[in-house]
Amino acid sequence: MEAQKFVWEGAIPLQIHLHESQVTALPPPPPALILAPRIGYLPLLAPLIKPYFSSTLPPGVDTIWFDYNGLPLKWYIPTGVLFDLLCPEPERPWNITVHFRGFPGNVLIPCEGEDCVKWSFINSLKEAAYIMNGNCKNVMNMSQSDQLELWNSIMNGNLEAYQRVSSKHKLSTVDDEYTSLCLPKAQQSLGETNLTAQVKTDKCFTLRDALKILLPELFSDESLTNVKLSGVDFEDAVRNPNEDVSSDKVLEDQGQRSYKNPEAGNISNSAEIKLIRIQGIEPKLEIPFSWVANNLINPDYFLHICVYVKVGQ
Amino acid sequence: MAAAEPPSSVRKVVVHLRATGDAPILKQAKFKIPGTDKFAKVIDFLRRQLHRDTLFVYVNSAFSPNPDELVIDLYNNFGFDGKLVVNYACSMAWG
Repeated sequence: MEAQKFVWEGAIPLQIHLHESQVTALPPPPPALILAPRIGYLPLLAPLIKPYFSSTLPPGVDTIWFDYNGLPLKWYIPTGVLFDLLCPEPERPWNITVHFRGFPGNVLIPCEGEDCVKWSFINSLKEAAYIMNGNCKNVMNMSQSDQLELWNSIMNGNLEAYQRVSSKHKLSTVDDEYTSLCLPKAQQSLGETNLTAQVKTDKCFTLRDALKILLPELFSDESLTNVKLSGVDFEDAVRNPNEDVSSDKVLEDQGQRSYKNPEAGNISNSAEIKLIRIQGIEPKLEIPFSWVANNLINPDYFLHICVYVKVGQ
Repeated sequence: MAAAEPPSSVRKVVVHLRATGDAPILKQAKFKIPGTDKFAKVIDFLRRQLHRDTLFVYVNSAFSPNPDELVIDLYNNFGFDGKLVVNYACSMAWG
């Protein structure tokens, strides 16, 4: 499982600037340079960041949030995914801005601290378990101490500890089974046994095949409707409809899934995939999807695929 | 929530709100909401109806979806019998 080790050790170098509205002393403090784990979440960096800026912050309550080029960053998305999604040309270090005031409650859901992130993570894990097994008993049956150990393993980037707890609770799944369960809606449209059989016998269910099911309109031939793959977080796919994108528009589009939008048909005619990125890797589409699913998933068992789509004017 | 419905092609989702534990039961528990709305709308609706800020909201008595998730996606993945079952409680029910 070497690939998983690389993923867990992956990190994004951040250059974090304090927003000018929060600088109370001149000269403004220099940016904080922090290496953020790919599989982690930005708010978890607060204890590292605060000391850098505490002397310049005005007094009051601190609710940390970040923006990139003016776009408020969704804190529940893993840091690596945010980076893969927002930087077509990987920017190293990644320049983001930190705020301790003026939380944009109309745009971001609140995050009061580590517990909030942990709650979000555990629920994501339950959601994944529900998708894979039809229930989330295995997560519910975890003792408090196991849950804590799992969470800590993520905070500390400790893959061994994570694997210990997750295999104890049978969170990990067999290749073929996982692959078929990753595509529940596809199962329903193709017939459950069909897809499972296909995956088990046909070792070459590739990443391209999976993407064809997920984003049929970008592959022009099929016309499956109503496809949502919950084992795969596809919210990312439509965030970058144009190559030069304004920050506001991207935020608005965040919630839209173009393949459900009736206008998607028009968009898709001239849309083409320019780039696919998973955990910072631009994989060949011929790679077996089961390998991708087993090795590149995040700790909450979601696979995030970042797709750059060019839409004709 | 079930306001005047525009003649649109936006698919509506039937949400069935179920009280858990000692949470108050709503007089009207079934609603239609545009699929393109976020789950946050369901949560806000419940908060206003029950006059409570602290609420724990779950789907299928299993997990709490991210408020940014679209109702249509939740329905497509976790709905059954033509509706999405949303449970609400005043204290944490399912971990």
